[in-house]
Amino acid sequence: MTSASEITWHDSDFDPRGTDRLALVDLLDRVLAGGVVLAGEVTLSVADVELVTISLRALITSASTLLNQGTDTPRPGP
Amino acid sequence: MSPELSRRLNADPESVERSLVTLVLTLVELLRELMERQALRRVDDGTLPEEKVEEVGTTLMALDEHMDELAEHFGLTRRDLNIDLGPLGPLLPDD
Repeated sequence: MTSASEITWHDSDFDPRGTDRLALVDLLDRVLAGGVVLAGEVTLSVADVELVTISLRALITSASTLLNQGTDTPRPGP
Repeated sequence: MSPELSRRLNADPESVERSLVTLVLTLVELLRELMERQALRRVDDGTLPEEKVEEVGTTLMALDEHMDELAEHFGLTRRDLNIDLGPLGPLLPDD
């Protein structure tokens, strides 16, 4: 009978115990390839009278994604 | 401040200033790490011109060293510059 040999995983991306926590910055980094639009609006009112409105839409994306919109070949940035 | 509130909230000026500095430096570090990752992607894609690769690399390294100096100046470690977002995980990598 042969003795069991241990198989060791060396793939640094694979965490079988799932204990490595994913940092939010890594998620942000991957999302930037597609881009994110944040939209928000705040209205300041007094006694039901609307006085000040702040409306914001922000596009957060990687510069190369923005540059390459509509093209098939990636182009170098500025 | 009521006794109950003062037990839950530490609002002495020194602590508030330290927390604010930590937050600001953490946000700066977030942007630096984001730029680092994006620069690496551009190098991998081949969309960063050859002559720019070294320049971008050295600048990012200089920024990293500058972060060390800034943190030290305020009596913080690089590990302090992070936010635990609970279920969302840490903002920056733990290592």
